[in-house]
Amino acid sequence: MSSGPTTRGLPIEINGLTKHFGPVVAVDDLSFSVAPGRVTGFLGPNGSGKTTTLRMLLGLVHPSAGTATIAGQRYQDLENPTSSVGAVLEATSFHPARRARTHLRMAARAGGHDEKRADEVLGLVGLSGDAKRKIGGFSMGMRQRLELATALMGDPDVLILDEPSNGLDPQGIAWLRDFMRYLAGEGRTVLVSSHLLSEMAQTIDDAIIVSFGQLKAQGTLAEITKGITGVVMRARSPEADRLAGVLTQAGIAFRRLGHDEIAMDGVTPEQVGPLLATNQIVLYELAQEGGDLESVFLSLTSGLGFGDVAAAAPPSAPQSPSAPPPPPPMAP
Amino acid sequence: MINSLRAELLKMRTMPGVWVTFGLAFPLTVLGILIVLASAGGFPGHTFYYVSSLSQRRRLLGAGFFGIEVLAPIIGVLCITSEYRQKTITTSLVLVPIRSRVLLSKVIATALWSIYIALLGLVAVAAIALPWNAALGGVTSQVTDQIGAVIPGLLASAVLLGLFGLGFGTLVKNQVAAILLTIGGTLILEGILIALAKAIFHYDLNWLPNGAGAALAGDIARGFGGGGGGNGPNAFRLLTWWQGGLVLLAWGVGPLVLGYFTTFRRDVT
Repeated sequence: MSSGPTTRGLPIEINGLTKHFGPVVAVDDLSFSVAPGRVTGFLGPNGSGKTTTLRMLLGLVHPSAGTATIAGQRYQDLENPTSSVGAVLEATSFHPARRARTHLRMAARAGGHDEKRADEVLGLVGLSGDAKRKIGGFSMGMRQRLELATALMGDPDVLILDEPSNGLDPQGIAWLRDFMRYLAGEGRTVLVSSHLLSEMAQTIDDAIIVSFGQLKAQGTLAEITKGITGVVMRARSPEADRLAGVLTQAGIAFRRLGHDEIAMDGVTPEQVGPLLATNQIVLYELAQEGGDLESVFLSLTSGLGFGDVAAAAPPSAPQSPSAPPPPPPMAP
Repeated sequence: MINSLRAELLKMRTMPGVWVTFGLAFPLTVLGILIVLASAGGFPGHTFYYVSSLSQRRRLLGAGFFGIEVLAPIIGVLCITSEYRQKTITTSLVLVPIRSRVLLSKVIATALWSIYIALLGLVAVAAIALPWNAALGGVTSQVTDQIGAVIPGLLASAVLLGLFGLGFGTLVKNQVAAILLTIGGTLILEGILIALAKAIFHYDLNWLPNGAGAALAGDIARGFGGGGGGNGPNAFRLLTWWQGGLVLLAWGVGPLVLGYFTTFRRDVT
């Protein structure tokens, strides 16, 4: 694997992608792009069409309409597909009787890579000690790592990861996060689907949010969350009744959540704080809710809507570690 | 293409089912040898007798056909259905996204493993049948003289029976169902259909897979599952060897092409 910044990544373009399974529209006129050198989160609830989209991108599922290309070409038309794209799709795509190294040797042969690369990628994902073990005895986390090793076999320019943290322990998740950042730091394109938003929020530069197969939002993480900052301020006070009166006088909309709890809509801490101080209202708690990725996600995917924030902002410089993170020890 | 084929060969080499099948080739060939030597003489007091007629000598040399007709289709079935059974088809098609290339690699890999089974049968014949026949009083050179007449048909039938299994595996996908269809269909159902066709319509139903394989293999198949042979009005007439080859090829290619367009090209979800 090369080190240092490069321009090796390839752009992904999805245009008008549609997939019908009988009467069910799994993906509905989906369009977005993924830039190299960044970790892009592909987010949506279960059944929102993420996996189908990724499978169409990899030629496993035939689109009903539209195109999904990598560097302007369909995956199956790429000259050296496994050198261009590595994919982690599901942690069950292994023959249980095969040993980890054999599986990777098979992948190396299929992609036309040196079989010695099998040991290298096993080391990268922390499975060197399990090279000779049969995959049937692997835990889900180990299988995920092996799937990642398979994806890295061709040292690809693009990484496509479908729910890669499934089955990983917290150490493994943290390692995967650093690893994705490292790969993007090398200039590679990293597209990762997930429904684990708190995890994604720590990892991704850009986000694509889908629901019911449709694009709900695309942009940098900062841009997507910025649009809804200050959605709700929640205050807990022993003087909730007096607080309600102050808010009414100030013209701020609020809801009583409990005998000592009030939610204020559409205000910022900068607006509420001075008002409470001026009126000398005792507070036990004042918290802003709704400005994070999870809130955006829940709002967009439950149909409440935060308006269209699909206009992508220009990419900002990605943060990445300068060396691949050492894999955490793997429990047997 | 070469990369894909090398991957397929490694897959098959690391598949337990393939080795179980391979392991059965030797005992099934021994069973074939027993049948040939037991039916060679017919003299009182001799269970086994050395082979003497041309047909018997060829059958002894080709005793591996008994294993081939059972095992080569299973090799073909395993080659494709294990991908679906173990869900490795996703990885396979991501690694080699051109599906026709994957399938062609499987055709060649199946053919090679079917040939391995045929060769293992020949090893069993060389190790057991020839010394045994000699011990019974037969002349070894009279048997080995028939190598040129036996081996091409043996290898060709192995390859085409393997292709037949691969074709049905591609079409059916479910491993158990595909094995039942190919083995149960050829060894049991085919025999029943042949018997019924002969009894009711006085028709030689000789274009089913096993009969076609027996025709291709020629003399060596007589008396094994392929049937055929005999004289007189009730004799079951096989196709000629080339007709048998073409019919068996059709039994392989037909399901393979059909399976490719109806099953193998489907979405992998």
